Amino acid sequence: MNDKFTPNIIGFLCNWCSYTGADLAGTSRMKIPPSLKTIRVMCSGRIDPLFVLESFIKGADGVMMMGCHPGDCHYQKGNYNARRRYVMLNSIFDTLGLEKKRIGLWWVSASEATRFAKVTNEYTKEIEKLGPNPTSKEIFL
Amino acid sequence: MSNNQKETKNYPNKGKSLPVEKSIKDTVFNIFKKALEENIFDALLIPAKVPDTDAYSWILLQDESLFDIADPLPPVMTVQGGRALSSFSKNGELGLKIAALLRPCEARAVIELFKLHQVDLDNMTLITIDCPGAMPLADYMNDPKKIADSFKKISEKWEISESLRPACQNCHRFSLMDGTGPDLHIGLLGENNKVTLIANSPEGNDLLEKLGFESKDSLDKWKTEKEKLVKEKTKKRESFLKEWQEKTKNPDGFFNELNKCINCHNCMNACPICYCQQCYFDSQMINFKPEIYLKKSREKGALRFPLNTMLFHIGRMSHMVLSCVACGACEDACPVSIPVGRLFSMVGDKTQKQFDYVPGLNREDPLPLQIFKEDEFCEVETPNECEEKATEEVK
Repeated sequence: MNDKFTPNIIGFLCNWCSYTGADLAGTSRMKIPPSLKTIRVMCSGRIDPLFVLESFIKGADGVMMMGCHPGDCHYQKGNYNARRRYVMLNSIFDTLGLEKKRIGLWWVSASEATRFAKVTNEYTKEIEKLGPNPTSKEIFL
Repeated sequence: MSNNQKETKNYPNKGKSLPVEKSIKDTVFNIFKKALEENIFDALLIPAKVPDTDAYSWILLQDESLFDIADPLPPVMTVQGGRALSSFSKNGELGLKIAALLRPCEARAVIELFKLHQVDLDNMTLITIDCPGAMPLADYMNDPKKIADSFKKISEKWEISESLRPACQNCHRFSLMDGTGPDLHIGLLGENNKVTLIANSPEGNDLLEKLGFESKDSLDKWKTEKEKLVKEKTKKRESFLKEWQEKTKNPDGFFNELNKCINCHNCMNACPICYCQQCYFDSQMINFKPEIYLKKSREKGALRFPLNTMLFHIGRMSHMVLSCVACGACEDACPVSIPVGRLFSMVGDKTQKQFDYVPGLNREDPLPLQIFKEDEFCEVETPNECEEKATEEVK
């Protein structure tokens, strides 16, 4: 059995940019880490902070929120809303001493397949360094 | 309600001082009686003591004889006023002119609910009163007479007593704030044996005019005394925030406090801001097939029931903390004495500061999650990219 820790990362990808970007990365045969489990949402503005928290508390080692670049949102302003929600989440994590690094927000457009591959690989490495999420073994949560 | 901020800001310069003859309660009620008689408003929402019991509740008062049971500042806060007000006004079109006498934290909750479209403020006059705090509900229920007596003493001296609710001990927003919150404020601080009426909006000014009061009296004494107390309480609050930030520096501090939770959801039901008809955590969305639970328990070694205790609290936090008015209703409602109000207030303080937002201060300030700027929070989203962008600009 391989002892190397493979993180479990949940990615919320917006349909119009990041998901298409991820698709392009796949069809271009770029290397995407197997640790990333993607969930398609129609817009990054659809990501309820609860989605991120639920993933985190139920043991995901990392949560990626991805959307269109500011100004490029298919619905005009969804990603700006997502950013504000992320700031709020960040502040809650900060105050309660939870690991902020386990959640993140990236902008990836539909054509940025290389960026998608870069970002996911980098984040996976970062999470590998951090180790498993303590909540995944915590019973009393 | 006024949209002109500059206009309303000028209001609290002068007020109307009224001498107290019998008691503060009596003086305040005389004003309301007059207003009801002259049909300035049709009904008044006010806390009242249920006859022959020690219970406090809210009444929408129209019959003047019922002023006997009403109490502008009850020793406890049973139901948060924001909740009481929204229960009959969330569908709008009241038709009646209603005034509501609220504690400042309750009025702030009303303003937040107004932004969430849960109250109708069109025909509503919000009246607040300088608040000495309230006693913990559980203490009061154990010995109503003793606690009511000690509350009387505390409120006369405006003492920051240890026996007050923790939320009230750490409250620095117990009086009128510099914003477009309530229409009228009743100042109890300042000169002894005087009650000061302060109009805080054109509507409030109208109300005073209709009652035949001229706002000519100086507010200096009330202001100096208020600011002195605000300073003292801000200091107290800061030390409380520091202490609790230290306690929750690592997640165990937070989790250990909440491990006492019995998942009754009282905090949610008592919270004025939690207005959802169906909470996610009461829904079927969180139920899975049995084998999922078995798998989870195998992975962890054991699985704790009820499920999602921590997720409930942090999830609720993520939904309402930006509007948290730190009223402490959640803490009063908790049957296992979790300092949930203090935790939320602490997280709220930090999160609201991030957005420069004070819940319940101004009616015009939009909720932080309902607005955005195109260029903001670059440093928070992904730090590296922010630097890249900055260097690109330099190039």
